[in-house]
Amino acid sequence: MAEAEIALDIQNLKKYFGGIKAVDGCTFQVPKGQISGLIGPNGSGKTTTFNLLTGVLEADSGDVFYNGENIVGLRPYEIFNRGISRTFQITRIYREMTVFENMLSASSMKIPVREARERAEQLMEFVTLTKLRGEYGGNLSYGQQKLLEFARALMTDPDLILLDEPAAGVNRTLLNNLLEHIHHLQEDQGKTVLIVEHDMNVIMNHCEKVFVLDYGVKIAEGLPEDIQKNEDVIEAYFGHR
Amino acid sequence: MGQKEHLRNFGMLAILIIILCALPSNINLYLRSVIMFTMMYVVLSLSWNIISGYTGYVSFGHVMFYGIGAYATGILVVDYGWHWIPTLFVGVFVSFVVSLIIGFPVLRLKGPYFAIAMLGAAEGTRVVATVWEDLTHGGEGIGLPNVENSFETYFAMLVVMLATIVVSYWVGHSRFGIRLNAIREDEIAAESLGINTTFYKLFAFALSAIFPAAAGGIQAYKVLYIDPETEFFILVTIYMKLFAMFGGKGTVIGPILGTFILYIVQEITWVKFPTAHLIAFGVFIVLVARFMPRGLMGFAIDKGWARKGMVH
Repeated sequence: MAEAEIALDIQNLKKYFGGIKAVDGCTFQVPKGQISGLIGPNGSGKTTTFNLLTGVLEADSGDVFYNGENIVGLRPYEIFNRGISRTFQITRIYREMTVFENMLSASSMKIPVREARERAEQLMEFVTLTKLRGEYGGNLSYGQQKLLEFARALMTDPDLILLDEPAAGVNRTLLNNLLEHIHHLQEDQGKTVLIVEHDMNVIMNHCEKVFVLDYGVKIAEGLPEDIQKNEDVIEAYFGHR
Repeated sequence: MGQKEHLRNFGMLAILIIILCALPSNINLYLRSVIMFTMMYVVLSLSWNIISGYTGYVSFGHVMFYGIGAYATGILVVDYGWHWIPTLFVGVFVSFVVSLIIGFPVLRLKGPYFAIAMLGAAEGTRVVATVWEDLTHGGEGIGLPNVENSFETYFAMLVVMLATIVVSYWVGHSRFGIRLNAIREDEIAAESLGINTTFYKLFAFALSAIFPAAAGGIQAYKVLYIDPETEFFILVTIYMKLFAMFGGKGTVIGPILGTFILYIVQEITWVKFPTAHLIAFGVFIVLVARFMPRGLMGFAIDKGWARKGMVH
């Protein structure tokens, strides 16, 4: 199998919070045009890694190359404007703004407002939120908020989408819709998707490549079926046999 | 929002303008003053609303910009012999510059820290105005030329109010305003979703600083005497905040409605009960905060009389 092109090249990334080594020299390459998974036990540094990649946290050291450019040290909006979008583990929709306003807030100011509106309408249709377009974000159910966040992250047509636990709190029907959409993005539009997820069904059935973190270090990577059998991974999750 | 709605809103504004233009020659000096000060508070509460209502940075020191405007006019008219109208532009410019200098560090603070920092900034400006006697005449204050100016100041305030309303309306119906809302709701998410929050906050802060300066300048020319205690009086900030919150912050109509109702109620109670009026006012504020925390507009939305959100 030929090596896939690399979308995101993460080199020796480190972030300490006082004495806690949240991310401790993490290195991995996210392949372009694929759906990849990032897993690990609670506290293994997955969300911190996401926050480092998107500029929400500043790395202590290490590099992240995106399209040949080191994006460490850029502010979150600059990273977003380069084509990396995200959702959050605990949803961060704007609670006292309507669904439609939530969508419009993420549109690029470079495109005319008419176009932005059209795109917002299409994406709301896509995640079946059109009926709720005039409702406050805070009045949506948790699952609907997840969908809104997902749709909002797509407003600028990003090339790389980072999803932090998209399945948590979403019912099966909605989840299947969401996964179908993620596949559509990857297969038809060539997008790169990186998913942090605890739901192993999602990881095993939908990701082409999986990275495993433990104590802020990558301990394994590979195909989902290989990861399932990996001794280090089993030990990280369940302890010594 | 459809074009029809914009047309309707501007129609309503046009009617308001016609009424306000026709009024002054048909009413006495006292009423002319009351309406002028009502318009002034519309300017102040709408301006406060841009940074505090839309953007969520609740300022406790907005009187600062009003005071700067008042002093620009006072100093230039009395010490330099300027005509009063151009002094308003100087006040606006100085306020704009000061808002950038103060805003850059202070807008990094959030919630109560920002509020207290703004309170400190306003008090600091008051102290400067008191101490810098060569420029400001210190605590002695500045007396302006005693001329009949109730018409001039009335119409000048009307123009400034219209400018403030138009700018607020633009903010309240644009992607710019939505982005300010996003900052208010969740700054980390906003920044992660492409919004340069530093720039937007500073822009909003500067917008909210320029109109109070113009209003302060007109007011100085109207009341004929300014001193640090009255021009940087914290009650002015409390009023603009209160009027905006009573009407519904984060909306265009809210602060206008809130000011027209509360300022006039305030004026009537003040005339009838010179000492008790502040107590009555205080009780009223507590009741509003308890039962109508999102103001008249929030109440209207809950009742289904108005739509949620600002862009539809």
